[in-house]
Amino acid sequence: MNQVLNCADARMLFALLLYGELSFDEEERVDAHLDGCAECRAALERETSLHAAFDGVAVEPAASLLRECRADLAAALQLEQSREQPPLWAGGSRVRAGWWAQFTNMLGGAAILRPVGAVALVALGFLGARLMPFSGESSLTGASQDGIARVSDVETQSDGTVRIVVDETRQRTISGNLDDQRIRTRLLEAVRDPSNPGLRADSASLLSQRAQSAEIRSALVYLVGHDANDGVRLKAMEGLKGFANDPEVRDVLSRALLNDANPGVRTQAIDILIPGPDDRSLPNIDRAMIGTLQELMLRENNASVRQRGQRVLEAINASAEVY
Amino acid sequence: MALNSGLQIDESALIRAAQEGDHDAFEQLVRIYDQSVLRLAMNLLRSPEDAHDVYQEAFLRVFRNLHNFRFDCSFHTWLYRIVTNLCLDQMRKRKVRKEEPAVLAGSDGPLDRMDSVAEERVDGDPQRHLFSGQLRNRIKQVLEGLTARERMVFELRHYQGLRLRRIGEILGTTEEAAKNCLFRATQKMRVALGDFV
Repeated sequence: MNQVLNCADARMLFALLLYGELSFDEEERVDAHLDGCAECRAALERETSLHAAFDGVAVEPAASLLRECRADLAAALQLEQSREQPPLWAGGSRVRAGWWAQFTNMLGGAAILRPVGAVALVALGFLGARLMPFSGESSLTGASQDGIARVSDVETQSDGTVRIVVDETRQRTISGNLDDQRIRTRLLEAVRDPSNPGLRADSASLLSQRAQSAEIRSALVYLVGHDANDGVRLKAMEGLKGFANDPEVRDVLSRALLNDANPGVRTQAIDILIPGPDDRSLPNIDRAMIGTLQELMLRENNASVRQRGQRVLEAINASAEVY
Repeated sequence: MALNSGLQIDESALIRAAQEGDHDAFEQLVRIYDQSVLRLAMNLLRSPEDAHDVYQEAFLRVFRNLHNFRFDCSFHTWLYRIVTNLCLDQMRKRKVRKEEPAVLAGSDGPLDRMDSVAEERVDGDPQRHLFSGQLRNRIKQVLEGLTARERMVFELRHYQGLRLRRIGEILGTTEEAAKNCLFRATQKMRVALGDFV
């Protein structure tokens, strides 16, 4: 069946031709028609351009969405397992269950006992809090010129005087440059001091000067991802400039770009992650980063950050549409 | 399926191990397919939240029903059958919830509404023009206007690169029916977008 196609019939088959979904005979007839029809060859070129344009609206899920999906699935599977599987110690290859699943399994795994378990845990927590030593500041602690002091024992002596044993932490000064391991160790401790954001910011700023050290970079990554103080996060990000190809850095900056409440942090994140719009490395942005930028377009309210993300997506011909 | 063809993973062995309760094997199976599942859901539903829900529900259904999988089709086909059904349900719900714009008449006018890009077409770089925001918007509108099945077949063929025979298997229909569906989808898109190229 080698009937000759007219122009209209041939053009109807162009899309399937481009997908390689025509039968051998159909493709032969289209080719035969194209050989003798310049207009249809031009029409096929237009159809090919249209075909390619569809790629521009493809959306690549952000790496953070994939991570979130995986984490939520793991949690849901664990729940499924705790509902349906025998206790872990019954044998077989099992995913490690969380403490709650193990606890309820200890209670026999019966759903009805789960509320009993919850009450028991609350009671344990209440009792534990009463029995634990008072961990916050108390009248037994105090500051002396030498440092923090804590009374550890009191006793009345035979002559009527009182004997008090005081545990003291004495202040001391350490000096050295940033390559001195003692200095680094203390700074790494200081950036984790929950009570003093100023100290954390200053320490982060110093550590940022030595981010080529994996240990320090890891601490800076932690600060960017976890520190509640905007200034500390910004200082820590300073040190991550130039390390955007490090997967750990890339990951935390992507999360900061999408989730950080502070627009300054988000701006800094995109500046570190993506080189300037004129940089020739732009086309090498990976698919996960494209997905992150597309997700940014979905949720970003700050005009400057949006504009920056949009410019990058446009520069690499990726869709910046907000769906 | 070409997925992970470079990795020396014996998928059947993983499936059997997962059927026997090996959760590491199940996790490996998830990792083989989950990016393409998420991409499919994201492209079809255009919503991270909905794509997340489809991902969760699909793999939970696989987990719950894996013991019933009898290897009478590929695991990929079976998984995609679950995913496409979930996506189709979601897309149909949306159609019921809100009035979608008509296929060939978007919110900003009928098909020949090209006035706003006429000057750009005369002077602009054709490649740049091709990927212009107007064209992407129009493609998005037209995609949203396709029926759920047309949209699904187009997505699976164009973006996921599946052959029509496989698409037919996934959607529980024949290759010919899938071909007709793709034909209708591309015809609609050509009519709606022809002026751009």
